Amino acid sequence: MSLPSDKGDTAGLSTADYDAFCRFLRERTGLSFTEAKRYFVDRRVSERMAAVGVEHVRQYLNLLRFQASGEELQLLVNRMTVNETYFFREMYQLDCLVNAALDEVVRGRAPGSRVRIWSAGCATGEEPYSIAITLLERWNRVDDFEIELYASDIDSQVLARAQDGIYEERSLQAMPRDLLAKYFTRLDDQSWQIMQELRDSIDFSLVNIADPRQMENFRGMDVIFCRNLLIYFDDLGRRQAASMFYDALSPNGFICLGHSESMSRMSSLFVPRRFPDAILYQKPQS
Amino acid sequence: MALVKARKIGGATPAAAAEGGDPLVWLEDADPARRRQAAHALGERPDAVPALCARLTREEDASVCETLLTALVRIGTAAAAAALVPHLASEDVGLRNGVIESLQQMPAAVVMPKVAPILTAADSDLRIFAAQLVGKLPHPDRLDLLAGVIDRDPHVNVCLSAVEALMESGDPAALPVIERLSGRFPDNPFVTFSVDAARRLFSGA
Repeated sequence: MSLPSDKGDTAGLSTADYDAFCRFLRERTGLSFTEAKRYFVDRRVSERMAAVGVEHVRQYLNLLRFQASGEELQLLVNRMTVNETYFFREMYQLDCLVNAALDEVVRGRAPGSRVRIWSAGCATGEEPYSIAITLLERWNRVDDFEIELYASDIDSQVLARAQDGIYEERSLQAMPRDLLAKYFTRLDDQSWQIMQELRDSIDFSLVNIADPRQMENFRGMDVIFCRNLLIYFDDLGRRQAASMFYDALSPNGFICLGHSESMSRMSSLFVPRRFPDAILYQKPQS
Repeated sequence: MALVKARKIGGATPAAAAEGGDPLVWLEDADPARRRQAAHALGERPDAVPALCARLTREEDASVCETLLTALVRIGTAAAAAALVPHLASEDVGLRNGVIESLQQMPAAVVMPKVAPILTAADSDLRIFAAQLVGKLPHPDRLDLLAGVIDRDPHVNVCLSAVEALMESGDPAALPVIERLSGRFPDNPFVTFSVDAARRLFSGA
């Protein structure tokens, strides 16, 4: 998941309303919007207010706060996130996964035991499918273990697209042609769909990683990919997320962050591990 | 294929919710994971500040300490800040650093009234921590408070901490304040070096 950076004059929200909105979104979703994103937030909020026929900002904020179904908050969140990604993005971490990290994860485990990998903030699914293809193609012990892949996002619309698994050329630019032929079916001139077996192998779920109650469902993960997501959180949001990822991981499990992110600046809970392909962060044994 | 269908996670009832019970009780559980779970749950409850701080005082597991501190930052009240401040005197370096980092992440308006009095504590180490912390807080009194340290603190190391904090603040208004330190410690080479460094920084050299 990622957020845009468009700028411009703000039209609707007063400074106090903007602050109230940002505070609310930060508390509920972990997403942190600065003054630089004001135009972007303003436009999305105005759109949603018009859609539900609410005239005053405070009224709309109350709707978000107190609507029992949470439907409007979900619709707003869907509008507040932009999801630009592609297959095999930041490939060096996938290299690290199959060249070193997984071998360490399964050391001492009996053949046939489970390995759990979670793509947190999976957007339209390119990351979890890239992980799946990389494992199948390049991890030489892939047949020795039962691998469970989890993928989650806070945006219900992108999650639905991830489950459909239909992609256009832009997403597939780094996909070798032989793998495209092997794992995808061409639908028309512009789109391909990933094979049913891979789509069925991943558990996609709607998850807000800022919510401790939802995060309690994730336990025993061996590797978590959380790339280019926490950069949109503030310091406290990152620290809180790191703490919950810690609980989600098995001892000695790894977390992979984006190339510009450093766990050392978020939390002291993890140990940085330098592998030939990448730096990962490891939950200590005890 | 070695990929197996993952069990469904989304929408399932969290284990803790299914069990019910009071997170305040879990804080004393023998299992560190359970204590972290309690801290996560109590991060939304200002009434839990005394219990979180009491646990922090006794807690030996670093991961639980980190989660307790995160919960207190999330609560972010004056009571939470007040409860953290005494730990600045802790002999446990990890805890002390965690407390400094946590206070930095809390609202400056809440933290500053609790930290400013420590600038005149009897223990010079404590005054150094306070100066470092004050320097990180985006608060209108920051410059005046650190100027007070530079003009009056008897210990040169405390003054140098204030200089460093002012330099990190990047506020050019700090330079005349920093330069006054040369008058108080004219023969101290570290002071001379720091003042020169500040001049270079603020002149953009």
